[in-house]
Amino acid sequence: MLKQLKSLSEKDWRVRIQRALHHGDRPWQGLLILFSGVVIVLMLVIGGMLWVKSSGSRNAFGLSFLAPTANPNWDPVNNLFQAWPFLYGTLVTSLFAILFALPIGIGIAIFLAELCPPWLRTPLTWLVELLAAIPSVVYGLWGIFVFLPKVVAPIGNFLADTLGRVPLAGALFTGPIPASGASRLAASLILTIMIVPTIAAVSRDVFLAIPPSQREAAKALGATEWETIWQVLIPYGRSGLLGAIILGLGRALGETMAVTMVIGNSIQGGISLLSAGYSMASIIANEFAESVSQLHTDALIEIGLVLFVITLLLNILARFLIWRVARQAPQEARS
Amino acid sequence: MSRKMIIVTSILLATGIILSACGSAVTPQSQTGAGASTPLPAGSVQVTGAGATFPLPVYSQWTYAYQYVDPSVVINYNGVGSGAGKTAILNNTVDFAGSDSLLNADQYTQGVDLQMYPMLAGAVVPVYNIAFQAVPTPAAGAAAVSLPKLILDRQSLVDIYDGKVTKWNDPEIVSLNPGLANFLPGTAITTVHRSDGSGTTEIFTKALTSFSPDWTAGGAQSVQWPGNGLGGKGNAGVAAAVINTPNSIGYVELAYAISNSMTYAQMVNKAGKTITANGASVEAAMTEFANSFTPQLTATIVDGTSDGAWPITGYTYIILHTSTMIDCVKAQKILEFLKWAQTDAGAQTAATNLGYSVLPDVVRTNVLAKLAQVTCNGQPVLMP
Repeated sequence: MLKQLKSLSEKDWRVRIQRALHHGDRPWQGLLILFSGVVIVLMLVIGGMLWVKSSGSRNAFGLSFLAPTANPNWDPVNNLFQAWPFLYGTLVTSLFAILFALPIGIGIAIFLAELCPPWLRTPLTWLVELLAAIPSVVYGLWGIFVFLPKVVAPIGNFLADTLGRVPLAGALFTGPIPASGASRLAASLILTIMIVPTIAAVSRDVFLAIPPSQREAAKALGATEWETIWQVLIPYGRSGLLGAIILGLGRALGETMAVTMVIGNSIQGGISLLSAGYSMASIIANEFAESVSQLHTDALIEIGLVLFVITLLLNILARFLIWRVARQAPQEARS
Repeated sequence: MSRKMIIVTSILLATGIILSACGSAVTPQSQTGAGASTPLPAGSVQVTGAGATFPLPVYSQWTYAYQYVDPSVVINYNGVGSGAGKTAILNNTVDFAGSDSLLNADQYTQGVDLQMYPMLAGAVVPVYNIAFQAVPTPAAGAAAVSLPKLILDRQSLVDIYDGKVTKWNDPEIVSLNPGLANFLPGTAITTVHRSDGSGTTEIFTKALTSFSPDWTAGGAQSVQWPGNGLGGKGNAGVAAAVINTPNSIGYVELAYAISNSMTYAQMVNKAGKTITANGASVEAAMTEFANSFTPQLTATIVDGTSDGAWPITGYTYIILHTSTMIDCVKAQKILEFLKWAQTDAGAQTAATNLGYSVLPDVVRTNVLAKLAQVTCNGQPVLMP
């Protein structure tokens, strides 16, 4: 039937014209290519703009701009700029946010997908998704007035008294935490709350997408609920879970307002999680509108460039990891 | 009343005539004389300003009220920050800019005819939260014991922010506050500063620079703060950090401290007098420096020597192009608005009510004289 039609159309030019006119495939394809092209062009334009506009700072400081240092300078009056405290602040708060949010988020997802009684499932899912809809400035305000003094400060003091005494790793937890609670720990915890819904929602979909046959097979072999989840479902959904983590990390890296409000905005915090710090997005938000000199502006744009590159690298890494995990998964499941 | 009638009548007359601002831009409106000119249709002149957020509350009130004074002009002022305001006027994307900080040499070479006009002044005050110790508990029914306000002098404020004075019961503070000697705790002081670049920080750090050579971080919208102080975003962020951190000190604008009932310190000024920040002490500072204006009409008014001067004060300015404004109608409307804001009793009261200090007469005369020098197409815009 199809062959007949095809041969007919090739012979009859009228049919060919009709096909060209009525068939939307070609224009539709072109339109889609155009849309994807816009994304690529946009990325290049943003990256290029950041690169060009930061030239003053790049020429003045070179790589020393990013080098780790114990006594960082960020001195708009004397035009001395180093990005290390911001780089460190962003990375360490995002990393700890992921560490805290991962077990909570995946735990919520497992509960919602596997264990939750049906009557509780919908309202609970709805509530978790609602958490993601709260504007970050609201998190910041709530953080300043409630969460930091009431929750973060006591946790910080506890950590300083316990983990802070452990050699080596204790350097991350040297106290005392500022009495207001404003610290990198506060930023990590606020970020945790902000990315838990993202991780939970994506992971839940991953678990729901796993075919029931997998669960039935595990249970048929005598696996308990726990063993099914831990040894079958999580390995099966690994690449999806990794995607959830990357999504969460992406949000944590770029979060500006809430972090600015709770991190303390101090560049002299050492490496401790319990002291006030700074993040890349915060310094840009804080100082860009009122920059003191041209070099100050350039340095802030260079920080934007660094943030842009980090996000890009992270996404590439994530793609790579997901690709590898996806390739390995079937083999391991067999073994 | 009659003026309003005239305006209303003329609006009615002008309705339907689409008289665009561009059409009349060729000849300055002022040439025909202020009284004889045909009023423009309501809302036909759009003026845009942008800049400092510090005067935003009063500028909003002024621009709103001015709709009733001159309905033909609509003035929008956006609080985008002094730095962004200055960039905007340099690029001619706004008609006037507001700024708490001064233009630098580069900016004057880029925009040769830029001129700053002081509009208002404000005070910055140190706010503190000290957990006083051993305060006697009042007898049942009696009022709580009220402690005197903290007094700081110029050197001790620098020493606190520099990290030299680290405890509230440091002899340097105790000697200034004999009334608090038994109550000041021996706990560490947390300093709080603005994390966002702001004119408030510029006034505060310029004052610190003037107070003592020990302050080496300089004076600007953002500086590298010595020590491990906390940064709060905006006045609200600083206030929250101070309120939540026992034994901390920060700085906010006087208007903000008043409207949020924060406790702020008194200062011993250069003349050795203990001063409370208020309208009178800011005005004393302005009056003292009335003759020290630069040709660009800027003046640093921190650390005055007169008896009544509050030492941490600063002007907030409007920035205009003085000879290259293209639209003369617009230029005239802007200048009329500024003149109104400076001379109308209601406008001045509105500013005072919001916690700003209005210019003393001697400075205002100076500003009005400078405003009268603005030209458009070579013609003076404002007619005396």
